[in-house]
Amino acid sequence: MSDSKALDPVTFEVLKNSFITSVDQMAEQMLRTCYSFVIYNRDFSNALHDAEGNSVAQGNDDIAVHVGTLHFTCKDVIRVFKGDMMPGDVYAINDPYAGGTHFSDVRLVRPIFDEDELIGFSQSNGHWSDLGGSVPGSFDVTAKDMFREAVRITPVRLFRAGDFCSDVANLIANNTRDPASIIGDIHSQAQATQVAEREILRLVRKYGREQVKQGMNEVQDYVERAVRQRIAALPDGTWKSVDYIDRDPSGGEGMIPIHIKMTIKGDQIHYDFEGSHPTIGSMYNSAPGATFSAVVAGMKTFFPDLPLNSGFYRMLSVAAPENSVVSAQWPTAVTGFLMPFEKIMNSVFEMWSEIMPERAIACAFNLEYLLAGGTDKRREEDSTFLFYESPVHSTLNTCWRGARTSGARRTLHSCSTNGSPAVGADGAVRMAATSPQPASEPGSCLSPTKATSGSTRPGRLNFRSKKTAQARANGAEGQGCRKPPCFWKVKNPSCPMSATANAPSSGVLMAVCPPCRMV
Amino acid sequence: MKNTRVAVDVGGTFTDVVIMDETTGAIRIEKTSSTPDDPMVAILNGIDQGGIDLSEVSMFSHGTTVATNALITRNLARSAMICTEGFRDVVEIRRANKEDLWDTYKDVAKPYIPRRDRLTVRECVDANGTVLEKLDEKEALRIAHVLKKRKVASVAVCFMNSYTNGANEERMRDILLSVMPDVPVSISSQVLPEIFEHERFSTTMANAVVSPSVVDYVARLEGKLADGGYERDLLLLHTGGGVMTPASVKDFAARLAGSGIAAGAIASRFIGNLCGFDNSIGFDMGGTSTDVSLVYEGKSRVTKDWYIEYGYPIRFPSIEVLTIGAGGGSLAWKDEGGSLRNGPQSAGAFPGPACYKNGNEVATNTDANVVLGRLGTSLAGGKITLDPALAEASVRETVAEPFGMELHEAAEAVVAVANANMANAVRLLSISRGYDPRDFALVAFGGAGALHGAAIAKELSIPTVIIPPNPGVTSALGCLLVDIQHDFSDSFMAAAADTKPEDLEAAFERLEAMAADRLKHEGVAPKDIVMQRTVEMMYQGQWRALAVSAPSKVTDIEALIDGFHSEHQREFNFRRDDAPVSIFRVGLTATGMVPKAELQKHEVRKNKPKTDKTRDVWFDGKAHTAMIFERENLTAGATFDGPAIVEQFDSTTVIPPNTTAEVDQYMNILIRVQE
Repeated sequence: MSDSKALDPVTFEVLKNSFITSVDQMAEQMLRTCYSFVIYNRDFSNALHDAEGNSVAQGNDDIAVHVGTLHFTCKDVIRVFKGDMMPGDVYAINDPYAGGTHFSDVRLVRPIFDEDELIGFSQSNGHWSDLGGSVPGSFDVTAKDMFREAVRITPVRLFRAGDFCSDVANLIANNTRDPASIIGDIHSQAQATQVAEREILRLVRKYGREQVKQGMNEVQDYVERAVRQRIAALPDGTWKSVDYIDRDPSGGEGMIPIHIKMTIKGDQIHYDFEGSHPTIGSMYNSAPGATFSAVVAGMKTFFPDLPLNSGFYRMLSVAAPENSVVSAQWPTAVTGFLMPFEKIMNSVFEMWSEIMPERAIACAFNLEYLLAGGTDKRREEDSTFLFYESPVHSTLNTCWRGARTSGARRTLHSCSTNGSPAVGADGAVRMAATSPQPASEPGSCLSPTKATSGSTRPGRLNFRSKKTAQARANGAEGQGCRKPPCFWKVKNPSCPMSATANAPSSGVLMAVCPPCRMV
Repeated sequence: MKNTRVAVDVGGTFTDVVIMDETTGAIRIEKTSSTPDDPMVAILNGIDQGGIDLSEVSMFSHGTTVATNALITRNLARSAMICTEGFRDVVEIRRANKEDLWDTYKDVAKPYIPRRDRLTVRECVDANGTVLEKLDEKEALRIAHVLKKRKVASVAVCFMNSYTNGANEERMRDILLSVMPDVPVSISSQVLPEIFEHERFSTTMANAVVSPSVVDYVARLEGKLADGGYERDLLLLHTGGGVMTPASVKDFAARLAGSGIAAGAIASRFIGNLCGFDNSIGFDMGGTSTDVSLVYEGKSRVTKDWYIEYGYPIRFPSIEVLTIGAGGGSLAWKDEGGSLRNGPQSAGAFPGPACYKNGNEVATNTDANVVLGRLGTSLAGGKITLDPALAEASVRETVAEPFGMELHEAAEAVVAVANANMANAVRLLSISRGYDPRDFALVAFGGAGALHGAAIAKELSIPTVIIPPNPGVTSALGCLLVDIQHDFSDSFMAAAADTKPEDLEAAFERLEAMAADRLKHEGVAPKDIVMQRTVEMMYQGQWRALAVSAPSKVTDIEALIDGFHSEHQREFNFRRDDAPVSIFRVGLTATGMVPKAELQKHEVRKNKPKTDKTRDVWFDGKAHTAMIFERENLTAGATFDGPAIVEQFDSTTVIPPNTTAEVDQYMNILIRVQE
């Protein structure tokens, strides 16, 4: 943008930390004013963006599955409202097809103006308790398209110059099972975005508008520089992995493969999902934004100390075939995006564990939780209730070293009757059941994300990396030389993962083989 | 005649004994080296060293780190936990969050009581308090014998929904005591009768595991003091900012877990108050970290989100203290993205800053302050000498060269980044909570607080900085100035609009009866008891409640609801007048007032202090000639302009250019920071 002189180191460091503080303040505010019990259990995230929608800072404790998506939704808001924004406006969006995750994650975006100039945006993203659709909690396993899933919110204005647009808010709220909480969360999140606005304007008063704008750019450059340096220090090469969704609930037996090829070249990384399965007839599809997020979250686990913002994404490119299970388009069902998300994350873990064995972790994920909800007939008012139960440690404990919640925080054991946090859920329960139904093809007339051509060739691991990786591991005292003492060996020679698992360097490799389940 | 008050603050390095003469208000301080293996040794040394006759002591109060250290080092007696069948792992599952979300190699700590010592028994109470299934007494008895065989030193009993009805827990406790009468039993319906099982279980677990060592320590100290002739109650400072007597320690041992942290916050509240400020921010900067606390309208901010180890909340009301990793020994470094960072790594007590000559070559805040002339090269009355050449070399190498800066520019940069980080911490506690720093005074203390205080105040537009007479031992003063205090709470879930004032009043009266009983047990006369009521409220559907103070006689619910709306507006910057409000909990703080002694006052005579000593001190890119004063030569009423430096045994005060300093009747230095 501007090519004025770089900020002095002190101003830069102060601005950088203040940006992060402002986002953390949003988090604190959300946690203390939220209505959704899912938000209360920390399923939310916040970000500060520059005037183009690139993310400048994200919260330290943001849930992993949201990272790498907030800039997409901010940019979509800009696309719709460019030239028609004013101070005090707040917009809402939850559109997975525009870079969001799933419908439950509703983002409120506030433009930040200094006098007449738009200098950035603050965004607050929280998982609302219910967004309508066919089942309470809006997770319908059997949905084949979004019309059964939830209300899709393409960018709308919820506040106009500070005035609450109750008509629009009510339209959204009244299409859910919990209108009062939805209105509450709108206020909670809108105010959270104002916290960041206040902080940024304070910085503008102190350092000047140009300096703050420049700071927003430089913070992204700074992260980019740090990431590129780390990537450049790694050997070039190509890695491959495949993981599977057990089955398509609408299609009988048969696993759903998700292929990933990762190529490191210089300081650039490319992920290609060529060969991945087409979209399936249930909610377990992921739209491109969520898939991008899965790659980011998986990688970030290997760079825990680096801050996340759009600078991190600049060295990253992701390609996927059209309408695959990882690049679903409207109106394919995507509420269960976390399923492919976690498969992708597992694969990214596996490939990076080869490169950085000193930080190796096993595939630690499987999407499994119970969400029950319905009407408690004993109550006249506030009779809707929802019950989430997520066995956090179940799958994770199967992998010794992987027994950590690496990325996603899980909503756990959260129980709510609508309205008051009184616990006691033995009312009528309607399950979001997994009964298989006949498949229907999702829409096929959609625009591709970024299609790549050519078929997947059975790949080999590029062992050029091995020595260097081992040397790095040996030199990593700082990491405490934590080599896991146990690992799994795949014995099934026809298993597609055997090449990986039997690799000579597998002394530090840990992977449960998903296709054959052999350990 | 008993006219001496003694307060002891045990720190990591030193144990400070503050001795106050009640008749004159004069204070003297004895410093002894701490004895971590048995903190009592240092306390007795200090008493000895100060020549204190314990039979002359009217009040002995103590901020102890015994509970904190036991929890941090996990040097805990074997304890057991008994849960409702099916809920054995509540404390293991926690809320499934991690402190560091991304670093998979950073494990969350294990629960204080390992799984093998967590047993379960059948019983069931529902959310309304109805006993659906009585305690399985046969199984309970069997468990009691198992625990006896295992020789556990303490037991926590944590049943589901016990906050609504503790009958089953109480029965379990009685069965345990019938088998092992000497083992302390913490039951969750007594320790923390609040909804949310993880928080209640975790608090009860912490209480149980620290109980044996704390009770033992307190009993031994009590015995030693009695041997020496002390006749009154030993007073122990707890996390909530008050003291309690050994009689309560038995049941609420974990309340002492934040004893040390609370002391500094209380001291700064007292000093702020003394100087006429109802609103103050405590800024306690030491060698490796800085503690920030906030007082609004004379009251410390209290939080229930508190823990020693992440994942294991101790939900007793605690004075809110924000600790960040920035201190005199924090290291300056250039990261791989090219940014100038400060901390949280620290050079620690050893090797310490580069200028301490112990081999560290990386610049610290202390080194930068030496280069800038803000810190002299002779500290602690000449006991420690600093090497300015080493300080310069470290700043040159760590910062000046990598960033292409001049030496002094680099040193100022180091300090500026540290100040900005600390200012952000203050901001988190003030601005982000809806408090405007311009309405506050900054009380700066700790070893390095006075060095940075004025700069932080400038950064935040805080008009006044208060430097207490002995910044290095201010925390200990906090132990001297406390009342006996207990906190009580009870669930009260109802829609506010439908609540009858008499029902709420009855709930408060139940708490007050409990409180009066406990204070009586501690020997407090009824006339010295003060009760403060709070009611926690929220907009219906919200998940966190906000405490609003309630009158001593509840007659008007509307007034309470109004109070909640305004408190919500201040705290979160919005209110929803149209939304229904729920009551969540009633709370009570019961205080047994301890007669306060007055600090010594000095006659104020306006004067311009003189000094022959000057040195070059760097501010804003250039050297200024600053006057150097000895603190002990400054008298009440002394007024002087910055730039100036005030040196004393345990601290150095920086008075920057364009500020003025004044010594008040209590010998505090007040720095007026001009915008």
